[in-house]
Parts: sequence; C-alpha cells; structure tokens
Amino acid sequence: MTGKRTMTLNLTDAEMSALEELSARKDLNKTAVLRQALRLYQLIEARVEAGEKLYFESETTREKAEVMFL
Amino acid sequence: MKVMVTKEWCRAKARLEEDAEVGVGLLALDPLAESCAPRHEEEPQIAFSRFVQLMRRKKKLSVEELAEEADLDLGELVSIEENMHRDPEPRTVYQLAKTFGVPIKKLSQLAGLVVARDPGFSQEALRFAARSEPIEKLTPEENAALESFIAVLSETSEEDEKAR
Amino acid sequence: MSVNSWVVYLFEVESSQLVEAELRDAILEDQLEDWENHWQPELWSAMLRLKAQGVWPVKQESAHWNWQDKIQSIRSLLAYRTFCITCGGMTQGMMQVDLTKSARIESQKGKPIVYIDYLENAPWNRPTLNNPARYRNVGTLLIRAAIELSRAEGFKGRIGLHSLPQSNNFYASKCGMTDLGPDSDCQNLRYFEMTIDQARSFLEVPKE
Repeated sequence: MTGKRTMTLNLTDAEMSALEELSARKDLNKTAVLRQALRLYQLIEARVEAGEKLYFESETTREKAEVMFL
Repeated sequence: MKVMVTKEWCRAKARLEEDAEVGVGLLALDPLAESCAPRHEEEPQIAFSRFVQLMRRKKKLSVEELAEEADLDLGELVSIEENMHRDPEPRTVYQLAKTFGVPIKKLSQLAGLVVARDPGFSQEALRFAARSEPIEKLTPEENAALESFIAVLSETSEEDEKAR
Repeated sequence: MSVNSWVVYLFEVESSQLVEAELRDAILEDQLEDWENHWQPELWSAMLRLKAQGVWPVKQESAHWNWQDKIQSIRSLLAYRTFCITCGGMTQGMMQVDLTKSARIESQKGKPIVYIDYLENAPWNRPTLNNPARYRNVGTLLIRAAIELSRAEGFKGRIGLHSLPQSNNFYASKCGMTDLGPDSDCQNLRYFEMTIDQARSFLEVPKE
C-alpha cells in the first residue's frame, strides 16, 4: 500500500476533456478520478466473474438494461 | 494516509464518546435473541447431556480429551454428561457447538439456555434422549439416533434462510 | 501485503488513563482469530446473561456466518479497505469501508465518499454488554481513520454509513454527522453522512 509507482499517460483531446469534466464534477483531481475508475473497473470485473450481472435501471419505467462486459 | 492523533484529542474524544454504542452496518448486527421467557430450572437437560456424551464417544474421545479439545473445565464437562441439573455456562455451550460442528442456537435450546420457539424441537430432543442409552461403545442404533438428531439440529428455519 | 500502522490512544475506563494502542490498515488472520475465539464467545455469553435478566431486546439475525469469507474475498479489491485497532495483544475494533459510493447530501451529491460498510467494537468495550466497558475511543478512532482515508484519496473527508439503531446518537451528536433518515434499501437503518466541514470539525479537539 505504501509504495507508489509513476506512469505517463497519453490521452486524446476527448479523453482529457472527459477526465477534466469528471474531475470538476466529482471534486477530485485527475489522478484521483483515474484511480477511482480503476477501482470500479476491477470491482465490476470481479463481480461479473463471480456470476453477477450489471444493469442500468430506468427510474421512470423500471426497465432494466444489462451492461455487457467482455 | 496520515493519522496523527494527540493524547489531548483522544482524552477529549473519550469524554465526549462516554458510553456510546458505535456499531455500523448489517454485518455488525447482534445474533438473534430468542424469547425472553425464563426456562424451567427443574427440567433435567437429559437430551443435552446424552448428546454431549454420544458426540464425544462418536469422536472417540475421553471426557478429559474432549475438555482439552474444546478448551473446557473438566469438572463442568463431567457434570454435564452426568446430567447433574447444572446450568451449563454459555461459553461451554458455545465451545461444544464449535467442537461438534452444530449450530450454537440449537445447542443452546437443547442446553436449556434459551427457550426453543419450535415445539417440535423439544419433542425431537425427548425422542433422542429416549432412544439413546449410555454404554461404552456406540451401538449402530445409537449411531443412527445420533445421526438423525444431528440432522434436526442442523435444520435451518425459513427465517435463517432469509437472513442468509 | 504491506500494512501501515499508527499509534493511537484508547481510554481505559477502570483506570481513567489513556493506553497506547495501534491502528492498522488491514484486517488479518489475527483479527479473524480474535473475532472467532474471543469476540464471539464473549458476545454470546453477554447476550444470554442479559436475556436471563430480561433486559435484551430482540434483534435481527446477524449475517456474521459469512463475514470471514467476505473479508477474505475483498482483500484483493481496490474498492475496499479494512482497518483494525489492537491493544494489549487483542483486537479491539474493526472496520471495512467501500470507496465506490457517492454522497447523498444535496450540497455534495454524487461526490465520492468513504462509505463504512461495517464497524464493530469488541464486546467487552460495549456498555450495553459489559458495564463498565473496558475501553473507549474505538469508534471515534475508526471514524477518524475513515476521514483520514477520505482525505488521502481526495474525497476531502466525506464519509457515510448506516448506523445500527443503538448507535444513532453517537453518529448524530458525538460525531456531528447529518442524519438523512431511515433507508428502506438498508432495512430502515438510518443513513448518516459527513460533509467536508463536519469532517474538519471532527478532527479538532472538542471544546469543553
């Protein structure tokens, strides 16, 4: 947990723009946004691997749409 | 992450915390407590003492060996097996449940520490006590009686299933 | 895995003295053993003792039976972190947090929080089971750990939790959290959340 490693990230304009937008919306710096994304990605993968499915549910219609993962 | 607490902070917070409960989350909920009805102290817990004895013999242990394995007081174990109308200590029942691999709640009911909600359970306990007889070697009949009673103890109620 | 630890102080009720303890950012085998061999028997004994006195209210079934498996399964996931407090060679408190949840208070809605999935005090530290309790500050220090983690992760101290009914007052009055009321998605447990300002306030020495 204590050791930190540095990585250089090459992003397209669109990706950087998305990152900046998320950073503002979530009140996080860009590094924190990416670390959060990594957490979520790993967690979702682990749960799908364990046999669970991820859905979006419409608040109004209560319809479910599965989020497909490879 | 930095955590630098001062003694001053800790002292002041302890004064503030006082006698507070702090548990968070469903995982920290306490185990289900059964009905608060007091048990009848005169009722000998024959089925419990018979069960402990047979389970010990099934594991091919002497009383001393079981006391050691379950980390129990030898004297108490002896008086449980001889059914001397003694109140078993809750810790003793817990340790026995762990050693024998049976649900603590059901064993507590058998030991008379809590009142069984299911009247059928008491009947089963009585039937088991009647079918078993304490002799040196476990007979096939005793073994069969013990096996089927273990199945009763391990039966989960609908509520238990829902909670899981 | 590397484990970080920090010196903290518990308040020993009997002597009215502070005693040195350790806050660690992991729940390891020692903690699971202490839970199994010390917490559980003590909890069970205390509850039966209270029942015999007719003072214990009926509570809901605990999900503890699969707790040890759950702790093992989250070890490898970045989304979860665990903490414990040890003192005198014994685990005194444990906590598990989730870093993927978002705030609900309107002023910080959608922003990430450290959500406390689970926080438990050792039975001998709980006044309702053992009077007088052995140590104070376990809850306070674990909440502090959650806030410090929140700050370290860039969440600025925001935390959230579903309090057990007997603990509502602690989170409302002693920790100064905002009560958002019973949550029907969590067995009607009350949901509490801390804002950045409330977190800052918590870290200060309380005024007399």
